Amino acid sequence: MKAILLAIVGLLAVCLPASATQCHVNPVNIPREWVTMHRNCRMSMRQQIQMEVAASLQYLAMGAHFSKDVINRPGFSKLFFDAASEEREHAMKLIEYLLMRGELTTDVTTLLQVRAPERKTWEDGVAALEHALRMESEVTKSIRNVIKSCEDDSEFNDYHLVDYLTGEFLEEQYKGQRDIAGKASQLKKLMDRHNALGEFIFDKKLLGIDI
Amino acid sequence: MKAVIVALSCLLALSGTLAADTCYQDVSLDCGQASNTLALPRCNAVYGEYGRHGNVATELQAYANLHLERSYEYLLSAAYFNNYQTNRLGFSKLFKKLSDEAWEKTIDIIKHVTMRGDEMNFEQRSTMKVERKNYTVELHELEALAKALDTQKEIAERAFYIHREATRNSQHLHDPEVAQYLEEEFIEDQSKKIRELAGHTSDLKKFITTNNGQDLSLALYLFDEYLQKSG
Repeated sequence: MKAILLAIVGLLAVCLPASATQCHVNPVNIPREWVTMHRNCRMSMRQQIQMEVAASLQYLAMGAHFSKDVINRPGFSKLFFDAASEEREHAMKLIEYLLMRGELTTDVTTLLQVRAPERKTWEDGVAALEHALRMESEVTKSIRNVIKSCEDDSEFNDYHLVDYLTGEFLEEQYKGQRDIAGKASQLKKLMDRHNALGEFIFDKKLLGIDI
Repeated sequence: MKAVIVALSCLLALSGTLAADTCYQDVSLDCGQASNTLALPRCNAVYGEYGRHGNVATELQAYANLHLERSYEYLLSAAYFNNYQTNRLGFSKLFKKLSDEAWEKTIDIIKHVTMRGDEMNFEQRSTMKVERKNYTVELHELEALAKALDTQKEIAERAFYIHREATRNSQHLHDPEVAQYLEEEFIEDQSKKIRELAGHTSDLKKFITTNNGQDLSLALYLFDEYLQKSG
């Protein structure tokens, strides 16, 4: 019975397009010569966006960990929640770039996926900062690979994207890595002999409180 | 007889006590022991049996995950309306704002989960979860608004559900703290957002049907301009 009803509805839908309410403007065609990004470059950019999203989720998990009552490190929690928002902004910047180049007219839904972060606990602040540093190194390496696939294309060297990634993204990556590395080594020295106290003081420093 | 009543009330008092003195007891027991560790398992932020009965604690985790997922979906909608073919910057702005708000709420709920002495579980899903089929962000204007309206209702109704779980008048399930958190940070704003989106769909509906559909392309253009300038 249901099948018959469906068939009738389907038939009606096919037969009646002339009198159907149109809710949207039909797509138009305009020249596409200006859309010049090549496939390999596009695919590696898409992967990079997914990687930034995954990093944002991993940082959320770090923020959540240090926010627990038994951990109680609000400074670290803030640092990592802020980092999560920053990674999300990186993903948005890369998306903006693709849009500027005439991309993302199709296959937008499959661009990214939200998956639960792999790691959920860290022994202490040093372990988390070291994890963050490794993660950032991975991101940097991946951006370099995007650059490679965008400039090595024999038919189209994508100078502009390469320049953008080199000038804006790598710049930010290297500065960010230096910042985390500095924090990690400072904290490690502090915790060398004064484990709990060192982490406590450093955490308050991250909050902007001098004690 | 009196003794029985006293004993009974003592028993009741015992079973009714929740957190009274337990952290202190841990401290008194463990300090001075011949060991240099302190476990103090009951010195934590959990009170009011949070996470021990019912599903308020897990639902709150799931609520953070719902915001997280929707936030990134809205981000993709914002991207789609910003490509050169759709080129609806007002619609893009509307979705970007929804995405930003959902992202901020995600972090806020995670902080709230940990405030109550729990930990965040990014895999937790609600018992209310409805599977979505053929999800796509590549929709035209009215479809996208309709989808956003449905999604905001889903988020708002989930808040009602958690609120209901938190306000069941039983000794174990009553959690006024979660209830007031939802009321203060979610429920009022959600009703405004839903009203706003419903208003948008009403406007578009009128533009589409009046004047035999002749106004359509101009109406969509103007409405997009309006969305860019408002809100």
